[in-house]
Amino acid sequence: MKNGPLLFTGLFLAFLISFAGLVLGAHGQLGRLVPYHDDTEGGSFPQRVSGLAARGQAVYADLGCAACHTQQVRRPGFGSDKDRGWGERQSVARDYIHQARPQLGASRLGPDLANLGSRQKSDEALYALLHGGSATHPAYKFLFETRTIAGEPSPKAVKVAGAARGTETVPTERARALVAYLLSLSTAYDYPEAKPLAPIAKAPEAKK
Amino acid sequence: MPTVPTNAVPAEVTAIDTQARGPLLLLLGSGLLWLVVGGVLALIAAIQLHSPQFLADCAYLTPGRAQALRETAFVYGWLANAGLGLALWILGRLGGEPLRGLNWAVAGTLFWNLGIAAGLVGIATGDMTSFTLLQLPRYVLPLLVFAYACIALPGVLAWSGRRADMMYASQWYAVAALFLFPWLLMASQAVLLWWPVRGVVQPIAAGWHVQSMWTLWLAPLALAVLHYVLPKVSGRTLPAYEWASLSFWTLLFAGAWTGGRHLVGGPVPAWIPTMAVVAGSLLLFHYLVLVINCRGIMGAEGTGAGFLRFGFVAYVLFGGLDFLASFRSLAEGSQFTLVEPALREIGLYGAISMMFFGGIYYAVPRLTNRVWASGAMIGGHRVLVIAGIVGAVLALAIAGNSQGSALLDPKVSFAEMANQMRVSLLAHTAAQAVLLAANLLLLVNFLRSACCCGTSTEAPPALFAVESAKEGSAS
Repeated sequence: MKNGPLLFTGLFLAFLISFAGLVLGAHGQLGRLVPYHDDTEGGSFPQRVSGLAARGQAVYADLGCAACHTQQVRRPGFGSDKDRGWGERQSVARDYIHQARPQLGASRLGPDLANLGSRQKSDEALYALLHGGSATHPAYKFLFETRTIAGEPSPKAVKVAGAARGTETVPTERARALVAYLLSLSTAYDYPEAKPLAPIAKAPEAKK
Repeated sequence: MPTVPTNAVPAEVTAIDTQARGPLLLLLGSGLLWLVVGGVLALIAAIQLHSPQFLADCAYLTPGRAQALRETAFVYGWLANAGLGLALWILGRLGGEPLRGLNWAVAGTLFWNLGIAAGLVGIATGDMTSFTLLQLPRYVLPLLVFAYACIALPGVLAWSGRRADMMYASQWYAVAALFLFPWLLMASQAVLLWWPVRGVVQPIAAGWHVQSMWTLWLAPLALAVLHYVLPKVSGRTLPAYEWASLSFWTLLFAGAWTGGRHLVGGPVPAWIPTMAVVAGSLLLFHYLVLVINCRGIMGAEGTGAGFLRFGFVAYVLFGGLDFLASFRSLAEGSQFTLVEPALREIGLYGAISMMFFGGIYYAVPRLTNRVWASGAMIGGHRVLVIAGIVGAVLALAIAGNSQGSALLDPKVSFAEMANQMRVSLLAHTAAQAVLLAANLLLLVNFLRSACCCGTSTEAPPALFAVESAKEGSAS
């Protein structure tokens, strides 16, 4: 190879074609996905989440929760996602259209969280896990403030194991946002594209 | 019979080396310093894998952040600095003229390292993004692009102002890496961080970024080193040189299309992971030609050759395994498990880093005009780093395999799964400690050699004598 400009052009094309094909191609296909309107349910899905939950996604991202948790349910029959109770159906692109930073994740040292809000209705267990940790989950005490109760206890205080008498544990704004976000995660609505393809029915035999 | 070009540059220390000494040693030294920092972070992340409460109360080092810090220090700190240092050295030597614009490289190196340090602080304090190999906060990325361009400038000038028309294989690879990285970093940060695309197009773009970092930047840098040093240490030319350019273009054109390989079974259109399988099968041609051309490294002797040999085998092994992991049937069990970090360890440590080590062992004596300060430290580094890489990969692979089986069985809880993996993860921590010790040895040896503590070459040492003889026969 002798031709410098040809090498340069080739390099640029190699970069451009893969970027255009994979990234811009996918953007062209999925970039304009809209919520699915269901007359029976009287609403559009996925639904938008509260501001607190939306802020919680940033906390989830900056703490690096995606290093151990995924948010993508694989189709029934591919892995054991359904059998583990993570979701009845596979996640589809439409599930993520309102998320500023979809957190698909790439590692499962902990459970998948795509549908956590459907199976976990109360915030109590989540606060207990975040504060006290478990055999497989770190205790993030920095997300809480432990303070002496002066006068009325805070309405935001949460029950945690091993709290000293006369003290209360109050989740910080970040912890509340994180928990609100986790409880907002739901893929309960069944989109048409998420349903498995029905097996093709055999054509009735022609009458002889 | 066509004449087959070789990297036939006089191997003894030349004016090109002498003049580039300071800036290139600064790049290589910065890289080695980040390698040790990354080693400490890797050790922390490894401990957290089996003991999640380790440093749990330290907000700066949650497991997710520690992992991101480690990955960033390793890739943007160590691999970038060392790879650029070696690429500039190769382009300078093959250009046949002393490197021009080296002040830009020095300024760029300082800005690059400042940017990385600021980025690591940003990750630790809560500005981390969640994209693999792009966790750096977006506010440092424009600085990094600028700094990279400054560092790359002398390399590009050496290439465009080269004396000979002919370009060698190592020049294609080095030039490709110099040009492609800033483009891909600009494109990735644009669509992921500045003007983010919508929904799952983000993970698709992130997959493209990860695979591009590998095939458009790191692999070309490492292959530039391999193609440059190989003929010199083996004393042979590349047997199928005319195929080498096809292999090069296959890597560049097919490589980034494997971006969907991380999204098998995910909420993305089926053509994306399928395209990864197609591109992966095309890449097999690249690996095949590479095996034919570079198999000479298996019989080569010399300090750098041992590292290059290991790196070459790991590179081909990684290529094959990465391809296999893109198949749905295999991904079902291996996806989301520690098999993935095991593969990354083969690629980034076993292949790329080992080839860079080989390049550093070959280049530094020529840059400093002195042999390495301690031969024993070189031997120690080689034994420890090989033991560390093999240990880490095996431990992660065994843990990942058991995790994969556990994940497929819905009756196994995560606590049970962690128990099953505990021994392997402890072994992985030990391996990371060995790697840290190995790289400390290299850093100390490098500093002693670079700071004029080494033996003078007035009486030519064996290393130079042997290698010069081989280079003579290659040229």
